[in-house]
Amino acid sequence: MTAINYQRKELPSIMLKTGVLLFLLGLIIALLGYAIDHERAAFNGVILLMFVMSVGLGSLFLIGLEYLVGADWSVSFRRIMEILAIVVFAVPVFSLPLFANLHTLFHWTHIEDVLKDPILKNKMPYLNEMFFSIRSTVAFVLMFIFWWLLAGRSFGQDSSPREDFRKVTVRISALFMPIFAIVLTIMAVDWLMSLEPHWFSTIFGVYYFAGTFSVALAVVTLFAIYLNENSYLGEGIGGDHYYNFGALLFAFTNFWAYIAFSQFLLIWYANLPEETFWYLHRWEGSWAVVSIGIIIIHFIVPYAVLLPQPAKSDPKRLKFIAWWLVFAHFYDLYWLVMPTYSSGGAVFGWMEIYPVLISLGTILILFYYFAKNKNLLPIGDPKLPKSINFHL
Amino acid sequence: MKNKMIYGVTGIFDTPDEIISAAKQVKAIGFERFDVHTPYPIHGMPKAMKLGASPLGYFALVFGLTGAFAAFALMTYLMGYNYPLIISGKPFIPIPAFIPVTFEVTVLLASVGTVLAMLFLLFKFPNNSHPLHDTEYIKRVSSDKFGICIEAKDEKFREDEVIEFLKSIGAKHVEVIYYDNETLNFKVNIFEWKFVTFLVVSALVVSGATYIVLNKLMFASPFNWMMEQNRIDAQVESKFFGKDNFSMRVAPVGTVSRNSNQFKFSGQPELADAKLVNPLIPTEENLRKGMKKYDIYCSPCHGYHGLGDARLNGQFPNPPSLHSEKVRNWGDGHIFYVITEGQNSMPSYSSQLTNEEKWAIVLYVRALQRAMNAKEEDLK
Amino acid sequence: MSIEAIKEPSVIEGRPTFVDIDEQISAPIDKSPNIKYFIALGITSTMLLIGIICIGATFFYGIGLWGNNNPVGWAFDIINFVFWVGIGHAGTLISAILFLFRQKWRTGIARFAEGMTIFAVMTAALFPLIHVGRPWLAGYLFPYPNQHHLWVNFTSPLLWDVFAVSTYFTVSFVFWYIGLIPDFATLRDRAKSRIKKIVYSILSLGWRFSNRHWHNYEMIYLILAGFATPLVLSVHTIVSFDFAVSIMPGWHTTIFPPYFVAGAVFSGFAMVQNVLIIIRKIFNFEHIITLNTLEKMNKIMLATGTMVGYAYGMEFFIAWYSGSQFESFVFVNRAFGPYAWAYWIMVSCNVVFPQLFWFKKIRRNIAIMFVIAVLVNVGMWFERFVIIVTSLAHDFMPSSWAYYKPTLVDFGILIGSFGLFFTLLLLFIKAMPVISIAEVKAVLDGAQPHHTHNGGHNEK
Repeated sequence: MTAINYQRKELPSIMLKTGVLLFLLGLIIALLGYAIDHERAAFNGVILLMFVMSVGLGSLFLIGLEYLVGADWSVSFRRIMEILAIVVFAVPVFSLPLFANLHTLFHWTHIEDVLKDPILKNKMPYLNEMFFSIRSTVAFVLMFIFWWLLAGRSFGQDSSPREDFRKVTVRISALFMPIFAIVLTIMAVDWLMSLEPHWFSTIFGVYYFAGTFSVALAVVTLFAIYLNENSYLGEGIGGDHYYNFGALLFAFTNFWAYIAFSQFLLIWYANLPEETFWYLHRWEGSWAVVSIGIIIIHFIVPYAVLLPQPAKSDPKRLKFIAWWLVFAHFYDLYWLVMPTYSSGGAVFGWMEIYPVLISLGTILILFYYFAKNKNLLPIGDPKLPKSINFHL
Repeated sequence: MKNKMIYGVTGIFDTPDEIISAAKQVKAIGFERFDVHTPYPIHGMPKAMKLGASPLGYFALVFGLTGAFAAFALMTYLMGYNYPLIISGKPFIPIPAFIPVTFEVTVLLASVGTVLAMLFLLFKFPNNSHPLHDTEYIKRVSSDKFGICIEAKDEKFREDEVIEFLKSIGAKHVEVIYYDNETLNFKVNIFEWKFVTFLVVSALVVSGATYIVLNKLMFASPFNWMMEQNRIDAQVESKFFGKDNFSMRVAPVGTVSRNSNQFKFSGQPELADAKLVNPLIPTEENLRKGMKKYDIYCSPCHGYHGLGDARLNGQFPNPPSLHSEKVRNWGDGHIFYVITEGQNSMPSYSSQLTNEEKWAIVLYVRALQRAMNAKEEDLK
Repeated sequence: MSIEAIKEPSVIEGRPTFVDIDEQISAPIDKSPNIKYFIALGITSTMLLIGIICIGATFFYGIGLWGNNNPVGWAFDIINFVFWVGIGHAGTLISAILFLFRQKWRTGIARFAEGMTIFAVMTAALFPLIHVGRPWLAGYLFPYPNQHHLWVNFTSPLLWDVFAVSTYFTVSFVFWYIGLIPDFATLRDRAKSRIKKIVYSILSLGWRFSNRHWHNYEMIYLILAGFATPLVLSVHTIVSFDFAVSIMPGWHTTIFPPYFVAGAVFSGFAMVQNVLIIIRKIFNFEHIITLNTLEKMNKIMLATGTMVGYAYGMEFFIAWYSGSQFESFVFVNRAFGPYAWAYWIMVSCNVVFPQLFWFKKIRRNIAIMFVIAVLVNVGMWFERFVIIVTSLAHDFMPSSWAYYKPTLVDFGILIGSFGLFFTLLLLFIKAMPVISIAEVKAVLDGAQPHHTHNGGHNEK
């Protein structure tokens, strides 16, 4: 085995400072928001919750995928995903203010309205506060368990590698995949789809997954490129890793567009009133602009930027497009959540910034603290040399 | 071997490592017209040969955009402007519904176009008369050896030096390749009778096949039992109605239209001519109405301008012109009478037209007559 | 950890030389076939003949010979169409998507799978022609103005199908042919007889293994793979639109597009795996189509089978969650109504049995995986049956309900479609190299220079 040339370097404190700054700023706006207009603040809270979950759960999924398909190239930045996945622990925290505001968020919590409405009455066995809380709690607990199983166990490998570590983790990953699918679907249905309790779409879980995958990959890409450029990863990653990032981001940009278009076309074409109203809400007044914007922001721009072959391995363009995809996921969530809050026209004010600030701040802070005293390369992994020397 | 033109010198190597280093050395010396032949693509060879990036990506982009634009524009024109139809309550230009076809045409044009461009533009295929074919060299490199060929056209090419050079960089076997004289001296003669016959025959076959497909095959119906029913088709003689053999039945005697009074002058054209007066005045609205009804009911036989130039050529006897002295001197009532009662082979139009519409037609016929026989004062 | 654990096994076993590869792969073409081949051909052409007779009868007497009845206007014809198009998808997945993911194990099976794609699409394309009842009018499917200057309806999913399937066929064919060119050139230079030489010279277009060509060739392969990947998704997506854009309960579900694609890949892999198991046995390709390759295919079947299971579950959940009476009825009716037998065949074959692939022993046991793959194909055929027939047979108005029963002619055409597919496949095996010679050589140990990485990146 070739020796790995890696010296641990502590992360710069500017990262922590930026994180704390963003977080505090966001927190102030959020508190102010809850004080002034708790309804609007709560809806923004959903965006925050779902974004952080996207990043955390998405990172876990990427780790599981790596083990499952036996990928070599991603080993050298797997530690980034493992550390990033720690944000799943922040998800329950962000759900607390929302649980306190369930009545403002979810129409189906108003029992008196539900009883008058035959469709909602039919959904009562699923959409009730008790079961809702149980589902979310179980989902959170599953996230924690799998964080430990998939990511947490890996840190010990640096000092004392175990023979059967990979074999066991591959099995855990296989087990994780169906559970991930169910957890993700339930969270998407509960926190996003049930905002409009009459609406339903079978593809909705897949839709949220498409966004999750691309945003998690974008955040991993950003961390990997920034850390690599400032040589925190030793010789960890190079041009061909970048190319893979670019290609995967490109692929999942297309995947998102495919899923989003499928959902839209089928509902638009069949034109059933119980489905189309969801899109019509997003077509009223200035929402139409936002709706057209999502095509451009989530598909056309990343597609056009990533299409040329050189763009996929150019760190400058990759960083730009990764930031762009982070923004696009916020935009997507805004488009999913906010029309329920303000039908008739889009609203955007100072309050809408807090999900962005808090989630970015949280990611930075958690990453910084958790990465302390830890290697940023999984130096105990026997596949690491192969990953470092990875060429197309 | 004499009198043969030299194409190049080839050298054969055993391993991929050797061929990579050979390619690098050949390039380093400054040869430009050389090529490496290997049974499969070797990693790093484009770099060793210092080949530029492949231009195929641009071909794909251009073909793809052409396909996308053409498909989208065609559908927009056809569905939105050429023949707008409402389909399942969608707009005339339903953009989401155009996306699948646009996508497919993009992919089709981009992939097929790029492949054809590569094979025929870049590679200049098919090329089975290349001097390398049928040499011992190509038989080795197509199976398990790696070869390099330096062409005689290169500026630095000196036969002996190149042979020595290839041996010095480790070529296991060096072979000189000559052009095939027969191929070299072959001249294309497009007026050769075989070629001309071939052209003529293929033109005939292609045009004949196209004609048959478009005119016969598309309308062929091998089993048309569903169409051959005992039914009565409009405008076709029917023996079933023995009295007049009309398949289009006239209303029974005494049928009264809901919107009109009974026609009092049945069988009395002169009386109708004398008594009936057109109740409509020639406003633009009335004339337009008359034109519309005339174009629908009268023009198939009388022609759009009343000249008797029937579109149903040959199926019925052509009617006389409406611009004859006789018709121009008829009163309005007489024309009304003919529309109502029919004349010679012209049937009655009472069941299709209301009285008001008939009068509007009369107005329009008058306008046609005046237009055809315009006097000088009409122009003022 | 021991070094074995991280060393990727070579995708080709037994360390053959380049010449060995040439000889083994062209052996079925060079030698005259044995009696087993003719028996197989006899069986498949008999099946084909049955199909031809039944199709001929259908054209002559009309589609009244089929079991289609008033509410169930679409049945075996469309089921078979969707089934065969789906079979084709695995070929493109192996040749294009796995190529993009740089999965080297695909090289041994890619050519064969591409061939299967083409034959499956040809078989599938037969059914739209048959089911219009008057196939000589099929020209009207294509976009050009008819005698009323009216063009085809570009908003109809059935027309999208015409575009999708014909594009898919063309692009698959081009992809396949591009891959064959170097192999034809190899065969040309090996050919002993003059006729073979002329034929292969024409087919190889004069390919001469130039690295200036290989450079562009690799690029076109990448471009074609890049186009074929979204194309293969779009084809079954558009097939699913045939159903999903309608308002038929049980058809109008937004998850249909990805669900159909997953199902298509699932059944396609099962079919490829079935055929490969037989081929590798007959022609001694065990070291090229290795057990590891088959195991990986089983893993993909497990993954796609579970995705299909997810879609079944999601459909059921949303049918209840939607609160739509018709939706809920259709799904309960599927599981417990008159077609419950078909539904449970589908669920057990598609979701339950593939779960056995969780066990490594089963993934590597050829007999068991063969049986499971057959079951998957049965299950996927029944999936289309369940979707199409149960929804149509019990739609909105109970007064128009009816039970669909296929006739012998229906089954005859189904048998005939298998006959057509396998006959074409057998002829292909005799006439062309079923394994890509150039690609297999490129992944042999020692086939690539040492100064770059060596086999560094086999997966993902």
